[in-house]
Amino acid sequence: MLGLLDARRDYGYELGQRLAEAGFDDVPGGTLYPALLRLERQALVAVSWETSVSGPRRKYYDLTDSGRQALAEQVADWQRFSRSIEAVAGRSTIPTDATADGRSGR
Amino acid sequence: MTPQSWGDDLAGALCDLGLEPREARLIAEDSLAEAADSGSSPRDLFGPAYPYARKVIEAVRDATLPGDGPGSSLGHPGGVLLHLEGVQKRYKRRDVLRRVDLTVRAGEVAAVVGANGTGKSTLLRICAGLTRASSGQVFRAGRVGYVPQSGGVIGLLTAAEHFELFGAATRVASRRARSTGNLLASRLSWRPNPHTRTEQLSGGTRQKLNLILGDLHAPDLLLLDEPYQGFDQGSYLDFWQQVYRWRDAGKGVVVVTHLLQELDRADHVVDLGTGQVDR
Repeated sequence: MLGLLDARRDYGYELGQRLAEAGFDDVPGGTLYPALLRLERQALVAVSWETSVSGPRRKYYDLTDSGRQALAEQVADWQRFSRSIEAVAGRSTIPTDATADGRSGR
Repeated sequence: MTPQSWGDDLAGALCDLGLEPREARLIAEDSLAEAADSGSSPRDLFGPAYPYARKVIEAVRDATLPGDGPGSSLGHPGGVLLHLEGVQKRYKRRDVLRRVDLTVRAGEVAAVVGANGTGKSTLLRICAGLTRASSGQVFRAGRVGYVPQSGGVIGLLTAAEHFELFGAATRVASRRARSTGNLLASRLSWRPNPHTRTEQLSGGTRQKLNLILGDLHAPDLLLLDEPYQGFDQGSYLDFWQQVYRWRDAGKGVVVVTHLLQELDRADHVVDLGTGQVDR
């Protein structure tokens, strides 16, 4: 979510849509909004209310400086981790689904 | 259910769980606005109000732990929830407990080990305030959930009736208590049957009920006296997963155990020894 907000500020509903587009399964509101609240309370995002043209007020989330820093740390952690996995799994001779029978995944 | 009544339920639930009324009201209003903006009812977007309130509380508590890093509360214990200093218990001129010291902070797990008859249950009862220490000091903060080793449930009542009864003790509305109880049961892979009386349940399932009743009012400190007796392997793993979920949510947990593999993951170990002390 920090990554998506780094790309551009957003509001809850739209962010949920972008998560789904990014390949995460439909993230239920009961999970998404508490996660945003957690980021807000940790001051990793700043919120501002804006009135939308269509009517209801809308809560926008912007990444803060410490949010950007947290994102950088988490990306670095992930890259370290995925390099380790790649170093082991990448050398493996076990064929993946795609190469084994020509179908793409499941 | 109208959005407004869902919002009222949420605000009420957040208050029950310890949030300031003003803050609870703000979060409820924000949630209603988010739902209106996304074009669905709050019930559809967030789920039932009471379980959602618990998630909100966990998010708020996670984020307010001192020294908390992004995304995780691990390794960043918070305020002191339990402090024992030189706690002793004498019973009929015999030492049941000799000078126990322990400090448990928010986000920590303490394991109590020791042979049979070394006072593990007595120590937990002292932590819970059910038994008085003969000497020493006991300090407790926040809400406490105590799960005894056995008993604590009533044979003729169903699980749902237990949820309502124990909910009533902490002024939680019966519907909310039931939905929370069922949510907690699902985390232990249990689906209470509405018609089954507790006396018809297996020992392991009765213990699950016992455990849920200790967690129903979302306590800050959980005191668990071997609540997994009779659990099968899967339930046992669910139980420990739940212990670490509590820890990650910033709760304090004191658990009696005799399994060495769990001690590595505990933040504190209180060893009551090999049973030199007479019962």
